[in-house]
Amino acid sequence: MTTADGSVIGTTQIFGSAPANHAFNVVLLAEGFTTAQQPAFDIACATFLTAFRATPPYDELSPAINVFRVNVSSTDAGADDPTSTGGTGATPRTYFDATFGANGIRRLLVCNNTTALTVAAAHVPQFTVVLVVVNSTVYGGSGGGIGTYSLAGGATEIAIHEMGHTAYGLADEYPYYAGGAETGHDHHPATEPTEPNVTANSNRTTLKWGWAVAAATAIPTLSNPNCSTVDSRPSPVPVGTVSLFEGAHYFHCGAYRPEYDCKMRNLGVPFCHVCRQVIWNRIEPLSTLPARDRTPISVVARYPEHLDVFTVAANGRTMSDWWDQSSGWAGWFQVSGGIASPGGHGSPVTSIARYSGHLDLFTVGTDNRVYSCWWDRSSGWSNWFALGGITAAAGSTVNVVCRYTDHLDLFTTASDGKAMSTWWDARSGWASWFQVSGGVAAAGATVTAIARYPFHLDLFTVGTDNRIYSCWWDDRSGWAGWFQVGSLVARPDSTVTVVARYPDHLDLFTTASDGKIMSTWWDARSGWAGWFQVSGGVASHGSPVTAISRYSNHLDLFVVGTNNRIYSTWWHDTTGWAGWFNVSGGIAKPGSEVAAISRVTEHIDVFVVGSDGIVNSTWWDGSGGWAGWFQLGIT
Amino acid sequence: MQDAKQPALQGAVRLIFEYDGNAVRLVMQQPVDVAVTGFDVHPDVRPGHYVEIRDAAGTALSRVPVRSAFTGSTEVFPEDHSEPITRVDTSGQPEAFTVVVPAPAASASIAVVRIAPPAPTAKKPEAGVTSPVPAEPVVTDLASFPIERVK
Repeated sequence: MTTADGSVIGTTQIFGSAPANHAFNVVLLAEGFTTAQQPAFDIACATFLTAFRATPPYDELSPAINVFRVNVSSTDAGADDPTSTGGTGATPRTYFDATFGANGIRRLLVCNNTTALTVAAAHVPQFTVVLVVVNSTVYGGSGGGIGTYSLAGGATEIAIHEMGHTAYGLADEYPYYAGGAETGHDHHPATEPTEPNVTANSNRTTLKWGWAVAAATAIPTLSNPNCSTVDSRPSPVPVGTVSLFEGAHYFHCGAYRPEYDCKMRNLGVPFCHVCRQVIWNRIEPLSTLPARDRTPISVVARYPEHLDVFTVAANGRTMSDWWDQSSGWAGWFQVSGGIASPGGHGSPVTSIARYSGHLDLFTVGTDNRVYSCWWDRSSGWSNWFALGGITAAAGSTVNVVCRYTDHLDLFTTASDGKAMSTWWDARSGWASWFQVSGGVAAAGATVTAIARYPFHLDLFTVGTDNRIYSCWWDDRSGWAGWFQVGSLVARPDSTVTVVARYPDHLDLFTTASDGKIMSTWWDARSGWAGWFQVSGGVASHGSPVTAISRYSNHLDLFVVGTNNRIYSTWWHDTTGWAGWFNVSGGIAKPGSEVAAISRVTEHIDVFVVGSDGIVNSTWWDGSGGWAGWFQLGIT
Repeated sequence: MQDAKQPALQGAVRLIFEYDGNAVRLVMQQPVDVAVTGFDVHPDVRPGHYVEIRDAAGTALSRVPVRSAFTGSTEVFPEDHSEPITRVDTSGQPEAFTVVVPAPAASASIAVVRIAPPAPTAKKPEAGVTSPVPAEPVVTDLASFPIERVK
């Protein structure tokens, strides 16, 4: 009973078309099927595939999943079935040496895991998980480094449960070790489990799946009144309610699961919301990201060798990807379960790094409230939390400025158009929202802000008369009133982009009512200049102008043109404005925004939602010029 | 978009290990063209088993978690799905697991590492004593192996 008892016939991809090196690859191995019985293995694989694809969230992740079957013939059919555990006493010669009756339990079906992994690696080198399908109608299966299951009805559930462990590190959510009658499993140790779907923490604010718990849901929802046994009472809340249910991770008390039931607790039921999210976040990074067409992308360089990108997926999920010089792109993942407001062009996720080991994020949720979360190097991602009771304009942008490390200033528009602000200070926490100097913005306009000094803010927006307005705050004098910047009539929903090349100078960019790309500047010595069109440029309807300053005497601009091509120009103090040019042949979604950042002075990274609806990126380097566009995903 | 192309992949290696208790044997190492996701790599050190790729000086270059191994038990599934899943202890049976781990050019060795949670009742070390500081996870190398250079 070794590999001499059969041979590998061949490999067939039975599902998926994703590139194997960027996919979740499932491999099914035949065990105990003779050469003549290979059609039965093929049918078993099809049966598994049907069950697998019907299991949420796999039903939504098809673009990143491949399934392969490896036909292996064995000399004999079936698996060992010792009489000592009630079996038939069969001892067939099979390739992977499968046997029922491990540990004295007939339905514990195991095989030679090392052989299974080695065969999978030889035939599908990029495999993610391996499942061995055993040719027997006796019910059985097991987990571990691979999943093993038989042809008995319902045994595919074993495979899908075991993939939860092997591929995603999910914990068992059942509240017992040996069915509930065991001793020593009354109280879970105080140590917090590392797995994402069980916890010993009942604090709502720090709960690792707090993002999925509704504010009105009491936690814990179910507490075990008798820790000497399993709490078998029915759920007091509707199916699908995410909360804390006591009894998990092999203990009756002291450990909680997210929902009353889950496939990681019982076979034959769906994965809970938290487990679905974990699976999603494991597979989705292998894909590129269809994004909301016109929702701006935010990018932060916490340090020169690292980028964090934030955007909103087509389905509203708040998504992030990061790049590090040492490891490349990590792949897209959903940030703390967030869903952004779909109103207008869609609320973006804005981000800021107060210091290199910390990120603060902001967005408007589907309830049009302003939300924030943070990432810290020491603790990872927090849950999203609402900032005050403000109702923001649907789809509005929350702009954030960090005047100094322990302080943030936020700006957005309320549902009635009022220009609103709040701040956070490390010493006092979040302040209440207030209207900035009575300002009201045009529908769809954003409030942009810049801090030229730690004690000074400049704000810009488009007013209800479609004129550009500004006001400032200074630590010594407080908020000034809004004043009109020139006589330009802007598009009502246009954004005023502002750059400070040095503290006593501002450059403004926006689009006029006819789409012309317009600029003006302010200098402390000469005041405001008049508006002028930048190199004859005209923007795609609604596309804002992006500007960065790599040097105090240099500007780089990006915009989507009327033909939806991605254009750039630059200004240099000695040569003035250059003509617009198409960046590497790129074409974007109409009205979308180009995000750009300069991590180091001779380098620009650019991000956009391409004409394919996917987040694309390119870069410019002083030594090599512009690179080609690529779909952003995982390196 | 035009000119779409994906940047070249970083190097990665698939490793297959066999273990019996804490005795670990490297069965196979195979260079692979596979993307290794990073969203769930926690910045802090969490208890569990990991495979590390180290440089010649022993510095960890990359680390991935080991899942479904070293548990000392296995699940028994009920034929009637309304019945409970249970676990039974396992011993004396060789098991196997695999990981795919990024392998940068400076890779020199492979280590299987166990990180244990800090002992909650551990006493603070006396001055000058070099025992682990309480609240520091206990990191143990279970095994290490030279990495085969990718040609």
